[in-house]
Amino acid sequence: MTATVIDGKAIAARMVAEVAAEAMELAASGWAPRLVSISVGDVAAAELYVRNQRRQAEAAGVDFEARNYPESISLEQLTGVLAGLNADPRVNGIIIQRPLPAHIPVKALQKAVHPLKDVEGMHPSSIGNIVYNDLALGPCTAVAAVEILKSLPLRVEGLDVCVIGHSEIVGKPIAFLMMGLGATVTVCHHMTRQVAVHSRAADAVFVAVGKPGLVTGNMLKPGAALIDIGINRVDGRTVGDADYDSCAQVAGWITPVPGGVGPVTVAVLLKNAVLATRMQKDHYSAAFQAAG
Amino acid sequence: MTATVIDGKAFAARVRAQVAEHVARIKADNGITPGLAVVLVGEDPASKVYVKNKHASTIEVGMESFEHRLSADTSEGDLLALIDRLNADPSVHGILVQLPLPKHLDSELVINRIDPAKDVDGFHISNVGLLGTGQKSMVPCTPLGCLMMLRDHHGSLAGMNAVVVGRSNIVGKPMAQLLLGDSCTVTIAHSRTKDLAAVCRGADILVAAVGRPEMITGDMVKPGATVIDVGINRIERDGKTKLVGDVDYASAAAVAGAITPVPGGVGPMTIACLLANTLTACCRANGLVEPKGLTA
Repeated sequence: MTATVIDGKAIAARMVAEVAAEAMELAASGWAPRLVSISVGDVAAAELYVRNQRRQAEAAGVDFEARNYPESISLEQLTGVLAGLNADPRVNGIIIQRPLPAHIPVKALQKAVHPLKDVEGMHPSSIGNIVYNDLALGPCTAVAAVEILKSLPLRVEGLDVCVIGHSEIVGKPIAFLMMGLGATVTVCHHMTRQVAVHSRAADAVFVAVGKPGLVTGNMLKPGAALIDIGINRVDGRTVGDADYDSCAQVAGWITPVPGGVGPVTVAVLLKNAVLATRMQKDHYSAAFQAAG
Repeated sequence: MTATVIDGKAFAARVRAQVAEHVARIKADNGITPGLAVVLVGEDPASKVYVKNKHASTIEVGMESFEHRLSADTSEGDLLALIDRLNADPSVHGILVQLPLPKHLDSELVINRIDPAKDVDGFHISNVGLLGTGQKSMVPCTPLGCLMMLRDHHGSLAGMNAVVVGRSNIVGKPMAQLLLGDSCTVTIAHSRTKDLAAVCRGADILVAAVGRPEMITGDMVKPGATVIDVGINRIERDGKTKLVGDVDYASAAAVAGAITPVPGGVGPMTIACLLANTLTACCRANGLVEPKGLTA
C-alpha cells in the first residue's frame, strides 16, 4: 500500500480563498481586517517567517503591519504597546513573533493580548474555550492539523486517535479539538512506555515532538492517517518527525514536510484574523446598541 | 485478588488537618485568616445542604466563612455586583457560586466574573486555559482530589497508562490534564468510544466519571489496576434507595489492585480540596509560600 500524499498547499489555498471573500465583505462594512506583528531584537530567524505571513495576508486582503522593537525594550514597555493595540479599533489581531529575548517571557505577552484580538489562539481564555469545546480562536498549528484530518474521508466520531507530544501549543490542543469532535484520544509523550502500542492501535496519528525519524512505518496501523507536525533541519533539508519513506508504505494518508501542515497553519492565522475582526465588529455593535 | 480499598474519608480528614495546621500557622505568623465566600441563589434543597456543609468545614479548619444567600429572583446585575464586591474584598480569598443557578441567570457569565485568582472551583475560563497550558491555576476540586489520592497511593504516576471515562468540563477534562501533568499516557474515553472495554483494560489507572450507575464492570478492569470512581448515582434496589458509583464495585474489586468505594471515596475529597484551594489562593494573594501537596 502506498499512502495518499495530503496536499497542504491546496487545502491552504481553498481556505485563503474563503478568507479573501470574507475580508472583502468586512472591508465593505468598514472593518478591513488588520494584523500587527510584533518582533523584538535582531530577528533574522523570524524574518523569513514574517515576510511569508505578510505576503499571504496581503494576498488574502488582510492588512499586515510588521513592527520590530529593539532588544533593550522592557516587558513593561511591551505590555504598554500591547495595551495600545488592544484599545485601537483599527487593529484586529496581534501576532507575537518568537523567539523573544530572555527577559521577555512569552506567556506574559500572550496573556496581555486582548482575547478578541488573539489571532494566535494563545491566550489562556482561548485555550480554555477549546477545552470547553467552544472553538473560536484556536492555536494555529493545532487547528491546521485538525483541519487537515477533517479534509479526509474519515468519520471522526469514534475514531481512535493517537497524539504524540503533549506540548501546550500543539499536542494538547489537538487532543482537545479531536475529543470535541468525538474521537477517542490517547496522548503520548516522552514518559510513555511504548508509544508503538498506542500508535499502532490508532486510525489517525498526530506527531509533534521535534525529533526526526521518531515515527516509523512499523508503528502505524495499515491505512491510518499520519499528520506530521514536526519541522526539523537535517543535513540542510527540512524533514518532519516521521520517517517518511517507511510510513508512506503503511499509512493510508500522510502529510509531507514541507508542504503539509505548514501552509495550512498560515491559512488558519488568516482565518483567525477575519474571525477576530467579525467578533470585534459584533462586540462593538452590541456595545453601541446597549448604549442606546 | 482483592483490591485495597482507598479510604477517601480518612484521607480527606488528613488533608483537612494539613490545611488547618497551615491556616493556624499563617494566622500566627502573618496575621492573615483565609476567607471563603459562598454565594447561594434560591432555595434548591440539595444546594442548601452543600452550602451548609461547606460553611461548617470552612469554620472547622479555622478559616472565615462568608455566606451570601440571595433570593431566587435576584437579578443578574445584583449578583454581578456582589461578585465585584467580593473580588475587591481583601478578606475574601476564595469565591464559590453554588451551581446550578436559577434559569434566568447565565452561569457562564457569572462564573467568568469571578477574579480567576479567587475562583476556588477552577471553572473560570482563564483557569481552564491555564491548566490546559500547564500554568499555575486554580484546579477544580473533584479531579484535584482524585489526583491527590492517586499520588498518595502510587507516589509517582509517570509512565502509567491512565484512562479517563467521561469528558465533562468539571471532571473528565481537567482530570486528563492533571494526569498528563503527572506524565501519564492518557486516553479519554466517552460515549462515542468504539470498544470501551478494550480501552479500559489497557489502563493502569482507570477514572470513571460518566454518571451511569455501575457501568464499569470487573471484566473491563486490568488486573491490579487502580480504579477511581467519581460517580455518585442514586438507585432503587430491593425497594431501597442506594448510593452507587459508575463502577460495579463487587466485580471490579475482585480484579483491581486498589479501588475507591462509593460513598466514602472521592466524595469526601471534594470539600477538602475546596479548603485546600482557598488556602492556596490566600497564600498566592499574600505572596506567602504555598503549602506542599495541596495543589497540582
